[in-house]
Amino acid sequence: MPTRPARTTSRPKQRPPEQHRSEDDPRIMLDRAVSADLYEPIPPYPTRTEREAEFYTIGDGEMFLNLGPQHPATHGVLRLVLKLSGEQIVDVDPVLGYLHRGVEKICENSDYYHVIDQVDPLEYASALFQEWAAVLAFEKLMDVEVPPRAEYIRVLSAELLRISSHTLFMGFLALDMGGLTPILYSFIERDEIVEMLAALTGARMLFNYFRIGGVNGDLNHEFMSRLGDWMSRAAKQTEANTGLLNENEIFVRRARGVGVMDREMALRFGVTGGNLRASGVPFDVRRAHPYSVYPQLDFNVPTRLEGDSLARYLIRMDEVRESIKIIDQCLNNMPDGPVMAKLPRLLRPHPGRAWGAVEGPRGMLGVYAISDGTDQPFRFRIHDPSFMNLEVVPHLLPGNLLADTMAIVSSLDPIMGGIDK
Amino acid sequence: MDRTLKRRLEARLGAQIQGPIRQRHDQTEIRIQPGDVPDVLRTLHDSVDLRFELLADLAGVDTGNEMQVVYHLWSETSPDWLRIIAEPLSREDPRCPSATFLWTGAEWLEREAYDMFGIVFEGNRDLRRIFMPPDYTSFPLRKDFLLPDDAARSPGEGVRNVERPFAPAVVADDPAAGVRRAPAS
Amino acid sequence: MRALPATFREQARAVRAYAVESRAFALESWAGASPIDRLALVLVPLALFLFVGAVVSAVVMLGPTLDFLGANQPLVRFVVVVLGILLLTVPTAFLLIYMELKVIARMNLRVGPNRVGPWGAAMSVVHGLKVLAKEDFAPTGVDVPVFTLAPVVTFLASVMTLLVIPFAPGIFGQDFNIGLLFFFAMGGLSVLGLLMGGWASFNKYSLLGGLRSAAQIVSYEIPLTISVVGVILLAGTMSLNHIAQAQSGSALDWFVFKQPLAVLIFFIAATAEANRTPFDLTEADSEIVAGFSTEYSGMRFGFFYFAEYVNVFIISALITTLFFGGWTAPFNWPWPYNLNWLDASGIGAAWIVIVGFALLVAADVLGLAIWLFRGRQWSAPSAFGLGFVIAGAGVTILIILACIIALDWVQGIFWFMVKTYIFVFVFVWMRGTLPRVRVDQLMGFAWKWLLPASLLNLFVTAAAVIILNLPSAR
Repeated sequence: MPTRPARTTSRPKQRPPEQHRSEDDPRIMLDRAVSADLYEPIPPYPTRTEREAEFYTIGDGEMFLNLGPQHPATHGVLRLVLKLSGEQIVDVDPVLGYLHRGVEKICENSDYYHVIDQVDPLEYASALFQEWAAVLAFEKLMDVEVPPRAEYIRVLSAELLRISSHTLFMGFLALDMGGLTPILYSFIERDEIVEMLAALTGARMLFNYFRIGGVNGDLNHEFMSRLGDWMSRAAKQTEANTGLLNENEIFVRRARGVGVMDREMALRFGVTGGNLRASGVPFDVRRAHPYSVYPQLDFNVPTRLEGDSLARYLIRMDEVRESIKIIDQCLNNMPDGPVMAKLPRLLRPHPGRAWGAVEGPRGMLGVYAISDGTDQPFRFRIHDPSFMNLEVVPHLLPGNLLADTMAIVSSLDPIMGGIDK
Repeated sequence: MDRTLKRRLEARLGAQIQGPIRQRHDQTEIRIQPGDVPDVLRTLHDSVDLRFELLADLAGVDTGNEMQVVYHLWSETSPDWLRIIAEPLSREDPRCPSATFLWTGAEWLEREAYDMFGIVFEGNRDLRRIFMPPDYTSFPLRKDFLLPDDAARSPGEGVRNVERPFAPAVVADDPAAGVRRAPAS
Repeated sequence: MRALPATFREQARAVRAYAVESRAFALESWAGASPIDRLALVLVPLALFLFVGAVVSAVVMLGPTLDFLGANQPLVRFVVVVLGILLLTVPTAFLLIYMELKVIARMNLRVGPNRVGPWGAAMSVVHGLKVLAKEDFAPTGVDVPVFTLAPVVTFLASVMTLLVIPFAPGIFGQDFNIGLLFFFAMGGLSVLGLLMGGWASFNKYSLLGGLRSAAQIVSYEIPLTISVVGVILLAGTMSLNHIAQAQSGSALDWFVFKQPLAVLIFFIAATAEANRTPFDLTEADSEIVAGFSTEYSGMRFGFFYFAEYVNVFIISALITTLFFGGWTAPFNWPWPYNLNWLDASGIGAAWIVIVGFALLVAADVLGLAIWLFRGRQWSAPSAFGLGFVIAGAGVTILIILACIIALDWVQGIFWFMVKTYIFVFVFVWMRGTLPRVRVDQLMGFAWKWLLPASLLNLFVTAAAVIILNLPSAR
């Protein structure tokens, strides 16, 4: 065994490493000098608009509270600057952009296949809907006919994902109100569906499955067997999961009558999806502007009149049941045939403009695509439903208490990826 | 393809529509002058046979030569989507009247169009940047946009110059002053 | 190069030898020694010297010391009691933390901690060590004395209440005749700690949390205290020891059957007092990050954390004492059953020999059986080791059973702990199941429902005591 040489010199002293001070580093720009003044006004720049000045004027006994981008419950990186008078909210200024990735600009420099990949992470909890909207717009640009089997597979996978997204919404709503258990039940549900879709598409969350002219790959054995398993228990499991919250007095008392959005307000703000239907407007893109095979499917559009958080929650649970019905019909009526239309490898549509909209779990997801004849879209505009849904927050929150912030924001189901693009 | 919609639009809006009304698939497209935007939107929203009550989208477009503002509307009276293109907006000073008098939800959409293109919406009470940081001095989705290293006073400024550096000459407070021209070379 | 060793044992020996060889403990000079070495060089001889000195002085001074202690029995008792309570709190908190993690995990269809220790049992210890090892800092802008004292006040408020809780006949800290009042007084001190923590942290979230907690605890104190006045009327005393004794007999003598409304009110109000779900808005982590304890980390947070769990324990203990008989058994236990032929005081020291001998014999027998039964796959020492453990466990269980049968205070502790932990389980269960109420709903509930209900309960009880001419009516 080799021996270590005996130490002949004393051990050198360990010096602590040089402290690196942020004030000395020229690359780091601090907005202000680090001073003893601890009371920094917000915002740290002069206000730019009338509304901003109105918001940042503080009255007697009011204070600003940052429900900051890092917060256990703001559904992603959303910053809500609240003006509070004690516990009561006086005004709200949502600050967005913490997750802005410039997807629209990237898509202007990607070819049509890559756009589908780029557009997935927008509403990451329900990725297939963005793909569908984009693909719908492109198919209109290129006049592509999608084979019926592909349409049915699209509807099937999208409705599964809708159920998964709504179940996740339920879990997060409960978590934001303090219940620790329903979210884990909803993750069990979601896990089953996501594993199913992973068997079908190859990915668990960002699927990259839809293609212009069809889908990327037919149904397979593992997907069908998982789907069959799940369908046999789907209805009962949904009832059990919703029963966790519906019958909970505390949850119902906290959600009922909170954040009431009436019909006029919802229409004025361009709110779509479950939030609009909970306020009494039966607008569903699948019925108003049918796309794909929805005209041939039989399902209801649940509508409620109250417009409060409880109605928004109950509507989504109703939609889960409708989706189960749709999936059933898809499985029964699935035609045979190819799953992808024949398209040239290099896609160069004629110059033109197209708008495609689908009904996502949160509302109407629209894509406006302009083509200039090259293989990259000239303008790729995404209209995200969570963006419009979040816009009502400064008008719903004032007058409520701080604890209702979560009840209201969670019930609108925002996903920051879509809001910030 | 809704022929009746075309006729109804021509009847109601007549002189304000520039050029032919194009219809393709399930979309009807009209072009108007930016100054006519409030009237046209008001007519479309209020008239009994048109009733375009839902604003589906408000987007800015930079066609390279000019800028446009594109509205998408939905009505129960027609199976088509209606696309309204308000053009031309000049690239040096793009201005367009705001739609917030009709739809409060247009406020954030216009903020986004301003943030991405620099289009100033007159009448919008809250026209400030929505995605980019407040001290950003450029408009990302314009076609003459350079890489963002030099557009913000960020720690990355000047560290890795991929393009020619462009020192921001204006303070971020003034919205219209942030419009940059592409370099001549 | 040496050939590779053949068996595991030789490998282990080789590794150990290398470790010993390469251990750089060679200490040539003071200047060359590291700070740890220097510390060891100073402390070890000092400790040895002190130890020897302590032993010598103890031996020399034993007589006078024992006389002093014998003369001041109350002082001795006080010191022992305080030590006992302080030593009791941390293991209780550890047990409760582990229970909460595991039970809530099972309710969430998860497993909970299962890596550290058998079934994750060492998780609490690890958490405790973790909070001790963290950096102790106070953020910029805090009011440092108040910031530092807040967790101390909260912890003390919880711990001091343990002084009056009767764990068994004769096992209690002090038997005040105003024990219940003392309990509520000390429990109310926790408001002060929470307010201090919320105010001194330079943080609006903390402020909101602290004010919410003040409002909540102060509102719920009134129904809490009024609801137990019925019990006081029935027992005729505020001493917790006597209240527990007044319920002795059988389970039907417990006050829960005579004061059902009071139990309900007390349970709900106590949940609010302890800041437990569904009333945990002071630390609502989906709204105000962590409430008053947002800016606390390390052992400061550890104190708040422990204080919360000790709170849960003490309110469970109080519910048990006031309404469920404290340390009394639910059925008429032969109490205490004297096993005369096992009288410990008679045989004395011979017991030690007998137990040890029995242990060795049992270990040998069990080890032999294991070794034979396992077909020589186990080495003899391992088998005897396992046999010793099993025998030891068996003997311990037997001794505990004997104590339960023979000693009334062991029985008392057993029943007390069983009942208390049932209530602790109910609190943990509520945490895993229920969402949180909103602050105005909370206050409304306290003032509009609980307070009138507790007053109603008081009047009815008082009327019943007078009309039925119950013994405690004076």
